[in-house]
Amino acid sequence: MRKRKLRWLGLPLFFLLMTAQAQEVVYEEYDLDNGLHVILHQDNTAPVVTTSVMYHVGGKDRTEGRTGFAHLFEHLLFEGTENIEKGKWFEIVSSNGGQNNANTSQDRTYYYEVFPSNNLELGLWMESERMLHPIINQDGIDTQQEVVKEEKRLRYDNSPYGQLLPVLGENLFKVHPYKDPNIGYMEDLDAATLEDVIAYNKKYYVPNNAVLVVAGDIDVPSTKKMISDYFGTIPRGADIIRSYPKEEPITEEIRATAYDPNIQIPAVMVAYRTPGFAERDAYVLDMISTYLSDGKSSKLYKKIVDDQKQALQVGAFNIGQEDYGMYLVFALPVGETALDVLVTEMEEEVEKVRTELISENDYQKLQNKFENRFVNSNSSIQGIAGTLATSYMLYGDTDLINKEIDIFRSITREEIKAVADKYLKPNQRVVIDYLPKDKTAN
Amino acid sequence: MKKLYITLLIAFATLSIQAQIDRSKMPEPGPSPEINLKDPQRFELKNGLKVLVVENHKLPRVSIQLTLDNPPILEGDKAGVSSLTGSLMGNGSTSIPKDDFNEEVDFLGASISFGSQSAFASSLSKYFPRILELMADAAINPNFTQEEFDKEKDKLITGLKSQEKDVSAIANRVQLALAYGTNHPYGEYTTEETVNNVTLADVKQFYANYFVPANSYLVVIGDVDFKEVKKLVTTAFTPWTKASPPSFAFSKPADAQYTQINFVDVPNAVQSEITVQNLVDLKMKDDDYLPALVANQILGGGGEARLFLNLREDKGYTYGSYSRIGNDKYAPSRFSASASVRNVVTDSSVVELLNEIDRIAKEPVSEKELKNTKAKYVGNFVLALERPSTIARYALNIETEGLPKDFYKTYLERINAISIDDVQAAAQKYFSSNNARVVVAGKGSEVLENLEKVSFNGKTVPVKYYDKYAKGAEKPNYDAAIPEGVTVQSIIDKYFEAIGGKANVEKIQSLKLVYEGEAMGSKIKIEEKRTAEKMAQTTFMNGAPMMGVIAKGDELFMKQGANKMALPPDLQKDMMNSMGIFPEQSIAANSQAKVAGTEMVDGKEAIKIEVPGTIIQATYFYDLESGLKVKVATVTSMNGQTQNQEEFFKDYETVDGIKFPSIKVSSLGPQMVETKLLEAVINVAVSDADFD
Repeated sequence: MRKRKLRWLGLPLFFLLMTAQAQEVVYEEYDLDNGLHVILHQDNTAPVVTTSVMYHVGGKDRTEGRTGFAHLFEHLLFEGTENIEKGKWFEIVSSNGGQNNANTSQDRTYYYEVFPSNNLELGLWMESERMLHPIINQDGIDTQQEVVKEEKRLRYDNSPYGQLLPVLGENLFKVHPYKDPNIGYMEDLDAATLEDVIAYNKKYYVPNNAVLVVAGDIDVPSTKKMISDYFGTIPRGADIIRSYPKEEPITEEIRATAYDPNIQIPAVMVAYRTPGFAERDAYVLDMISTYLSDGKSSKLYKKIVDDQKQALQVGAFNIGQEDYGMYLVFALPVGETALDVLVTEMEEEVEKVRTELISENDYQKLQNKFENRFVNSNSSIQGIAGTLATSYMLYGDTDLINKEIDIFRSITREEIKAVADKYLKPNQRVVIDYLPKDKTAN
Repeated sequence: MKKLYITLLIAFATLSIQAQIDRSKMPEPGPSPEINLKDPQRFELKNGLKVLVVENHKLPRVSIQLTLDNPPILEGDKAGVSSLTGSLMGNGSTSIPKDDFNEEVDFLGASISFGSQSAFASSLSKYFPRILELMADAAINPNFTQEEFDKEKDKLITGLKSQEKDVSAIANRVQLALAYGTNHPYGEYTTEETVNNVTLADVKQFYANYFVPANSYLVVIGDVDFKEVKKLVTTAFTPWTKASPPSFAFSKPADAQYTQINFVDVPNAVQSEITVQNLVDLKMKDDDYLPALVANQILGGGGEARLFLNLREDKGYTYGSYSRIGNDKYAPSRFSASASVRNVVTDSSVVELLNEIDRIAKEPVSEKELKNTKAKYVGNFVLALERPSTIARYALNIETEGLPKDFYKTYLERINAISIDDVQAAAQKYFSSNNARVVVAGKGSEVLENLEKVSFNGKTVPVKYYDKYAKGAEKPNYDAAIPEGVTVQSIIDKYFEAIGGKANVEKIQSLKLVYEGEAMGSKIKIEEKRTAEKMAQTTFMNGAPMMGVIAKGDELFMKQGANKMALPPDLQKDMMNSMGIFPEQSIAANSQAKVAGTEMVDGKEAIKIEVPGTIIQATYFYDLESGLKVKVATVTSMNGQTQNQEEFFKDYETVDGIKFPSIKVSSLGPQMVETKLLEAVINVAVSDADFD
């Protein structure tokens, strides 16, 4: 690795691309008898350890009429276990010098604690307690139902532009569960019974549907023993059969209008349905979206906000999901600019990507951006743990943690053009006028 | 459910026979983890630059930090020159223009930033040589231009202006000036006057004097090879001319001879800023350095500490109260315990702060407090170790603070070994209640009377008076400033006479005023409709209505689109103080309004009427000579935060027999925005819909 020294100085930057270094996150993985997948990453640089569990259950795992379950569950699983008193979870973590959090997406739920490394056993105990025998009772359900409903109000219902993503989901998807918001609908949250919840726990919160990641300042042999002691005796659950309805491709533009009582300024969204994140095309679309809309030097921002001053703001989300992704660009108009004008301007830039190669300079800048992003995503033990879990469980390949950057590096300007043409044509898009309530679109 | 429960119970019982661990017991922590901090490799250039390199090949990235460990610098009558120099560094170099420099750094996905005595850069390791080159070039050959200098000087002065009435800024300045004296680098302060004394030549001189390698360190951390770094750094930094900064001595500051209150009158304060402080001689290499930190953490380090639990949780005096202890190898640093408290509890808060400082010195802390504090320290320390910036700081500290090489490796052990006695000894040594300066910045007319009665350990605490610049002042006299015969009513009567006469004013049933201006690149328009009982104000940006505020009867709400948000009842009550065609109509009827002396506004004397409130406190200023309203100042406090706003009224013009200011200058955040009167319509047709 040190042999590169003579090649750096005074050479054109493009050449440097080819001398990129490898990055090696070293790990070990195996299965317990009960189906729990375990990934261990040892790094003794800093005396921290992350213990985390990812369950392969998310918002899309539910029946009609019971949306929002996985997220409600995430809340419920902090209520206490047979050996952890109700309400004490967070206190136990902080009084032992740690930090913790959890999050739920449409595809999976993730819990983690970060501790000084001499508290590894504590972390393992806590997560195994959660998996083995959480306390699930009517009282907990009642409490958390209200908490989640309040969260929904705060984040989505009463928040300006809070309905953007839910509206997007219901227009991009007709049959797949992605059509419903992850947090669920109020009626469904109210309707959840104790029986429903216990059944959900029994089905999804089992070791054969989970991956345990322990990363940081560990000693591998003794860690393996502790894992076996705490997790080995958790009984295996029934095999889970997943089957989600497939969507027909969008071949004709979909137009929709939505209203939001919390806003004064309308927004227009142009969105596309994209492949699940494990597919190569999804990687290419990631680059395209960054090129078009990431940051102040991006094409859309520069043109529509800076130069032509037609929009107050232009932003984008490239939402990767397991079965299908969503790529959307939205803009808020300045003054009396018509929403359709913004759509035309945005389409002009997208069309360029479909029909012309992006410049060499822009391409190189893009590669630098992705390289930086990749490196920094693995800069903390917590980050590495998350990436290991996600790569294994959702992408089916743990080694992506090291290889993913190669995928980006291998994407060519030609491929960018081809993929744009495959997924981002006007007849494949959804256009949503997102208006203040009781105002007509201008 | 029962069946499931029994099944689980049996399963559990079965399992627990087989398992060797007892799940019902929470696991104990293991022994303190070993800190694996790599020793840096080191070399030195002939010009004095010392270079520390820590190789870490886990990720292909590098961070570079340049620190100039010079003794404190006294700027004197050019205070601000250091800050200006820092703002001007990094704008390219003498051979690379600013824009080209920034674009290249951006393209590489890297970052480079500068201070007046430091620089920092980070990038992917493959671009390290170029980034190092750019950083060195910008450091050694800075690009100082008149254009950039003028721009930064303006920004600095604007910043100072925006803080003129800021109670915290005033308090902070006075604390330091009193602790150190204004002839000490830590006690001097920057003013508009001193900044105006600074020229581009001064910046260049400052740079030439102080941006020198004698006490400089370059720390490089990441995916690099030591031999490589040595070669590249030698090439890049050898052109840096060997030199030492000028040195001078300054007097050693001393504590107050006895505990005293040092009071600064800030008439617009709705809260008092209290800081109890004393000087400490504490260096990182002292044996009781860690015990001092732990003692401070227990006293006032956060939401579980004594100050917080007492002054906020127990007594509700404040949104938060904390303490801090500094360390410094060049001069004494400070211990301070602070709180921002409601006016009416200023005296009690002073007593509680002193009591807590006393208590931690007199009584040993509890086992639980010590245990929890240690756990927090350990946790924070450990988690910070993942960041390269932490590693850089530690490598640097060992050099610059003369620490043993294993200082950080033994950190956790030493934290865990601290005893209750250690904590008490540190508290007694570093927290003083006998030689404390209690610096209070607040509204004298409301707090002084009780402050002068404060007693601690059986004695009244003497009060001394200072102005906003820490110069000794006379005790404020709140009775003197009002001219004979002036009352709230007389001021308002004169105002109505000045704007067109009481008779004409009384003919007005409804009023519409529209002002227009520009802010942040957009057109702003404010339209206000008023009747005797109702008010509706709408703000437009670039022609589109952004927000409205409507007050009528018992209601006060904000409007966005069709969405209404009711505002808190306390705020609604305060709004009643300014209803009417002219707010003066409500002020005249308000028994709480009082004349509050005079003050200069734009060079002319004005008489003040203060209108108190729970959330909003307003002061109305009327020109003593003409009687016209020239300014309104409001202080809004909610959730522990305070906001000062000012509105100036100028160039009155007559419309239909009534005078209105044709120009208003109002504060919008840190800026002052000028708006012009577009329309004034008297007895405009209004309907209920306008106030809906």
